[in-house]
Amino acid sequence: MSASQNKSSRNLRAWVALVLLVNGFFPAVWILFTSLKTETELTQTPITWWPHAPTLANYTQAFTQQPLLHFIGNSLEIAIGSALLTLVAATGAAYAIARLKLKGRGLILTGLIAVAMFPPVTLLVPLFETMRALHLLNTVLALMLPYAVMSLPVATLLLVSFFKDMPQELEDAALLDGCSRLGALWRVMLPLAAPAVFTAGILAFVNAWDEFLLAQALNAAPDHRTLPVGILFYQGEFTFPWPVISAALVVAIVPLALLIVLFQERVTGGLMAGGLKG
Amino acid sequence: MTTTTRARPPSATLSTPRTVARPRKLRALNDQLLGWLLLLPAVLLLALAVVYPVARLLHDSLFDIQLSGAAPVRFIGLQNYQDLLADIDARRAAGNTLLITLITVPLSLLAGLLMALGANLNWRRRWPIRLALLLPWALPMAFSGMIFAWFFNSDHGVVNDLLQRLQLPTVRFLLSPFWAPLCVCLATIWKTSSFVALILLAGLQTIPRELHEAAEIDGASRWNRFWHITLPLLKPSIVVALIFRTVSALQTFDIPYAMTQGGPGHATQTLAMLINTTAVDYLNVGYGSALAVLLFAVSLGISALYLRHVYQEAQ
Repeated sequence: MSASQNKSSRNLRAWVALVLLVNGFFPAVWILFTSLKTETELTQTPITWWPHAPTLANYTQAFTQQPLLHFIGNSLEIAIGSALLTLVAATGAAYAIARLKLKGRGLILTGLIAVAMFPPVTLLVPLFETMRALHLLNTVLALMLPYAVMSLPVATLLLVSFFKDMPQELEDAALLDGCSRLGALWRVMLPLAAPAVFTAGILAFVNAWDEFLLAQALNAAPDHRTLPVGILFYQGEFTFPWPVISAALVVAIVPLALLIVLFQERVTGGLMAGGLKG
Repeated sequence: MTTTTRARPPSATLSTPRTVARPRKLRALNDQLLGWLLLLPAVLLLALAVVYPVARLLHDSLFDIQLSGAAPVRFIGLQNYQDLLADIDARRAAGNTLLITLITVPLSLLAGLLMALGANLNWRRRWPIRLALLLPWALPMAFSGMIFAWFFNSDHGVVNDLLQRLQLPTVRFLLSPFWAPLCVCLATIWKTSSFVALILLAGLQTIPRELHEAAEIDGASRWNRFWHITLPLLKPSIVVALIFRTVSALQTFDIPYAMTQGGPGHATQTLAMLINTTAVDYLNVGYGSALAVLLFAVSLGISALYLRHVYQEAQ
């Protein structure tokens, strides 16, 4: 390769990196900047980019104008609860599909993927009606159950691909040693599957944390709103306190950002493996 | 996925293997039983949160159900579906949904493909690019709606600021029935393209490098290599992304809800938003169910294509 060609290819790479990074981070960075500006700076024309006099006042406002901590608590409770529920159901199902020669395996897998593509809007009306009749609107349970099902396909597919790759000898050894199937699953397979289970848990958590449609319909009471729903209520009918909204958004994004920074390889790997490869 | 196998092989491998204690047939039977037992929680969850609701949806769509008053539930057959055909709101919402689908699906696929190709270059440090793909994926849809509403804000938005700097006229984006749907589309494309990129990246990484190297030695240009090697081998991933994106585009709700509340007028109201308004806000459950059945049928038709393929693979 000639020197000039090498240089132009390096230039191209720099541009590609720049575009990817700006595309990924600019919206979050812009919200962060907005959250540090005062209302007066915000309404200047032309607008400022870098905050001139950074202030944390918007963050105090974000916690006092709306019960932001409460929203976070609700979201955490529902996301963790539904993720655990997903894991219990998905682990059992994945082991059965991957390791036991079940009849009708193809049908089960197809059914799971059908659920993965299931339009949540279809659930909205009957769930709303049912939960209303059972007086379960504005309870944790109303959202936990549908969320657990929502993540079931991805979690199961991820674990199926993991269990399938495990060496048969390990399990055979445990069985020969007098372990029952269940014992082998519990004592040998499950400890080895822990990383995959954890990854599935993160994916289920993020799914639940992000859900909006059912959350706004089933848990609409102020005390029971989840984060994505609650944050919409900072705006009045005609007022949009963007610095405060941005501060609340930043607070809401931080846990997600932490999660993906800490577990980026797992999450990408998980998305790719359980990811909808079928 | 990489996993570290830390556990030592159980000691049993060291002892002399005993002959299998139980007849093979019994074990097979036991395995079937255990299998179904392990599947039970998943099956229960599915029955509770999918099968029952869908049955109820189909059932309710044949009734007149108003939860707001004391009016009794009345069987009206296909009346809801007949009303639907003449409903201007439904037609407009269907049109908006179709427009959003037709614009965002191809463009988010194209953007996702470009992003995946960029991310697949052999970078010295992978994590910044990986995070740049993961962050938009992890954000709630509703947040991206709000963030883009702020971008497109008439007076203080960054988009109008850029237009001004370029000496172009500013636009009241979200107040214009022409621009607002396009802004919703842009927010959707931004939010969904990174997910597409992650799926396609998985596909790209299964393509052996040797293929490209061999083609390069044979003198194939970069474009030829992309067109004759990458694209055909990526096709399965593209099909998956295409179908999932189409089904989710038909459900569009969060982004227009957070960004424009369906406005201005009803310019960005989607079918999912109309269903929500009808059933949850106005408590007209029967008609809302009929609308949802319509959307369900269309999505199912698209999913069926994919499911047939998956089922054949699994057999």
